[in-house]
Amino acid sequence: MAINLRTPQAETRDQRLGTITQWQGSARQLAQDSTFTYACGRDCGPGGRRLCELSSPYSQASMCAEQIAVTNATIIKDTVVIQHSPIGCASSQSFTSRYSRDLAARRGWKPEDPKSICTNLSEQDMVFGGVDRLAQTIREAYARHHPRVIFVATSCATGIIGDDVDGTARQLEEEIGIPVVALHCEGFKSRHWSSGWDVIEHGILRRLVPNRPTEKRGDLINVIHLGGPDVFSPLLNPIGLKVNLVMGGNSLERLADLSTAAATVTMCFVLSYLATGLEQEYGVPEIRAPLPYGLDATDAWLRDIARLTQREHLVEAVIAAERERIAPELKRLRGLLAGKRGFVAAGAAFAHGLIADLRELGITVDDAFSFHHDPTTDSGDAEQDSLGHLVQSTGDVPNFTVSPDQHFQAHAAILRAKPDFVICRHSGSMAILAGRMGIPVLPIFYSNDGLGYEGLITIGRAILRVLPRRRFYAQIAEHSRFPYQDWWLNETDPYALSAEAAE
Amino acid sequence: MNIQSRFDDDIAGSFSAAPGPIEQVRYACALGALTSVIAIEGAIPISHCGPGCASKQFHALSGISGYQGGEFHVPSTNIGNKEVIFGGADRLDELIASTLKVMEAELYVVQSGCIPGLVGDDVANVVQSYQRRGVPIVFAETLGYRGTNFTGHETVVRAILDQYVAKQAGPAPRSQKRLVNVWSLLPYQNPFWRGDLTEIRRILEGIGLTVNILFGPASEGLAEWRAIPSAALNLVLSPWLGLATARHLESVYGQPFLHVPAVPIGAQATSAFLRQVAEELDLDSGPVEAFITREERDYYHYLRDFAHFYAGCTSQYQLPSEVNIVGESAYALSLARFFVGDLGLNPGVIVLTENPPEHERETIHRSFRDLAPGIDGEPVFEADGHRAHAVIRAKPRIGELPLLFGSTWEAGVAQEIGAPLVEISYPATDEVVIARSYVGYRGALQLLERTYTTVVRQSTEENPETAAL
Repeated sequence: MAINLRTPQAETRDQRLGTITQWQGSARQLAQDSTFTYACGRDCGPGGRRLCELSSPYSQASMCAEQIAVTNATIIKDTVVIQHSPIGCASSQSFTSRYSRDLAARRGWKPEDPKSICTNLSEQDMVFGGVDRLAQTIREAYARHHPRVIFVATSCATGIIGDDVDGTARQLEEEIGIPVVALHCEGFKSRHWSSGWDVIEHGILRRLVPNRPTEKRGDLINVIHLGGPDVFSPLLNPIGLKVNLVMGGNSLERLADLSTAAATVTMCFVLSYLATGLEQEYGVPEIRAPLPYGLDATDAWLRDIARLTQREHLVEAVIAAERERIAPELKRLRGLLAGKRGFVAAGAAFAHGLIADLRELGITVDDAFSFHHDPTTDSGDAEQDSLGHLVQSTGDVPNFTVSPDQHFQAHAAILRAKPDFVICRHSGSMAILAGRMGIPVLPIFYSNDGLGYEGLITIGRAILRVLPRRRFYAQIAEHSRFPYQDWWLNETDPYALSAEAAE
Repeated sequence: MNIQSRFDDDIAGSFSAAPGPIEQVRYACALGALTSVIAIEGAIPISHCGPGCASKQFHALSGISGYQGGEFHVPSTNIGNKEVIFGGADRLDELIASTLKVMEAELYVVQSGCIPGLVGDDVANVVQSYQRRGVPIVFAETLGYRGTNFTGHETVVRAILDQYVAKQAGPAPRSQKRLVNVWSLLPYQNPFWRGDLTEIRRILEGIGLTVNILFGPASEGLAEWRAIPSAALNLVLSPWLGLATARHLESVYGQPFLHVPAVPIGAQATSAFLRQVAEELDLDSGPVEAFITREERDYYHYLRDFAHFYAGCTSQYQLPSEVNIVGESAYALSLARFFVGDLGLNPGVIVLTENPPEHERETIHRSFRDLAPGIDGEPVFEADGHRAHAVIRAKPRIGELPLLFGSTWEAGVAQEIGAPLVEISYPATDEVVIARSYVGYRGALQLLERTYTTVVRQSTEENPETAAL
């Protein structure tokens, strides 16, 4: 299924990939049913069935695509993001500011407040339309900051009242002479927030990546990541590749280089829209090898990159040296972590990666909580079936719950798992939930932490740092209570409320 | 019963003029008032809105500002395409029913966001069907485009008063001579609200009152709310927030209210405030003065010792001479009075950021007169950070050493004008706040500690040669 760049609106991943947010069973079953749903790549033996999503009458506040799209647009330098919305959508600016400054510190950039402006729509605008305010705000944004690009993000409200954001953007683009890129990210349009990645990547692909067919660079590799420190250059420089690190904060120059690279790797397949689009539009090949979580997967990932960039003669030495370098520390960590039970809560491919890491460290993972599940990726290539790969290479995860960050379901899942620690992303509700249950928690804010050979060391050490905090969380657990009824506090089936069983 | 009170419309009317584009946002939308519900022990909000609305408001107000925490596992309909097209009332009904099955609370507050307002869901009707069955549940229409978390707070409070407090069974409440209801700082928006409400409760109890503080750890939760009609007085301790509530309670229960615009900071303001309240309630002055004497003895003991630092016992610090403030009017007023009136600083730029209703602005402006005898503050109403900073830069400062109270957004401009920055307003992303208070007797001392620690650290960073000595 090709990515359609002709329309300003990215198709949601619900439509493109059949993304689901509610399911439970074993990881093996989920992987098998996914391949059944989206045509067989491999491992599609008899017994698979079409994915059937559960539903729950009870649900708790989650997250929306707008936040992902806006956050990741805001941290692109020399741009201004306009949130065309009532004021509440823009209250996340404070978070983005903190994130941006923290990111700057880790990447060695000058810390500065990201530039974002809210059109601040009121009831009158809901009645009469908000495009005049939008035009005024775009002009104001340009006058204030002279950005090189302006993004305009929509909201539920402007989507419903039908403001012509594309028309206004086009008109103002002519007037002020810089790209004005519309990001259609109404929260109600997709069941999962990760559609926000598609929205920003769609905007980048359509407007900010010029075709430069005569400037191909054999030594440049695009690395698309969720954000955080550059852990890639130390791995890829030794085989003669320069890293063009994009998403999670970057410059417009880096985006403009995307079409000139020799290949693209994506550090989480949830973000693979951009990589697939680059291959489709500019012939930049997308590395499909499973993500580099764990030793063998990292070997294979490096070999695949080397193969596609004609560096096979260099890669074996790097692999051997890296394995040797980390071996003593890995041994020490395995010794200290042996017999521990971990619980992983993260989004799809990233969760699969963390599970592989923990298992490589000798930790038992029988329970996982994935915030969504994509049965396939935009490339449609079975190589990118990260769950299938996880199950084949490290074994099943018997209790695999898919839930969009639902606190009550996570409570049941953690109660069932009785882990020694929880490792999670989107720590807003998960981290404190685990802590309140008396369980040490390792929140992963920067998702590159677990990647490659060094990632095993980083994650292993981080787990060891949080384990002693059980002493703190035990007190909290003893002296606080969640306002659930007793029957739910004792419930260990996250989907006990659901009307339908997984048929 | 008309569940949608007229009051909502009043608040909406007062907000109808949006002030134009806003950069560096300093408050949330009306739905953000779900944090006021979370601030009431035993109450749970049920949000009828898009999938990201409730968590964005909560994490913005609580998570990143002061890292305040709070119970967040809010039931939400997480409206999708289906509800936008076909309406979301049935989904809300299903959510409420399942909430009652799973959660445990004394009160549920249904709050609607932008989408149900735009698609026209009849939320009131859904909630009424539960009210008829005796479920303790109320409805507050907190449409995001209709107001801020300040006006949303008043909407939520009004919903609880009219649909919960007023519906309590039993005989009509008897007035208790020494019981007061306090309407003061906005929970979560002000990162120090928990400690401050605790101190306000403490000093009022100190002069012999029983206090419904209503929000936060110092409150007894909904038991206090049920006792609201029995109070002898509504004390509005803020420049404008709470006035609408007090006026309403006056009309419903005949309760008088006392409006004290500035939350008192320091002994001068706090003692004057306590005497004013005592007089209003006709309290015996003996115990009141005894409490004030005891508190002032402590306070001035510490202040005397702080004076060593202030007088310059080591004389290496350049102490600020001009106080600049960017924040909500409540703290801005209190800090201006304390630093000008008690510490002897000159008033600099004062920017009020919460976009208060037009008809309250003159009153707010007036409250900045006579910060010290004959010295007026000239506050500017400005919700947009870019313009606020322009005002700060534009002020001539001949010979003055500025100090800046503000939010994280002020870090850049503070550096530009060479002012130490103390974070006191939303968003305060570089402060971890637990029980700290900056008001009353005890809070004032903590405010001085934080302020002058900041001054010393900045002075040390800027003068490496001094630090090396």
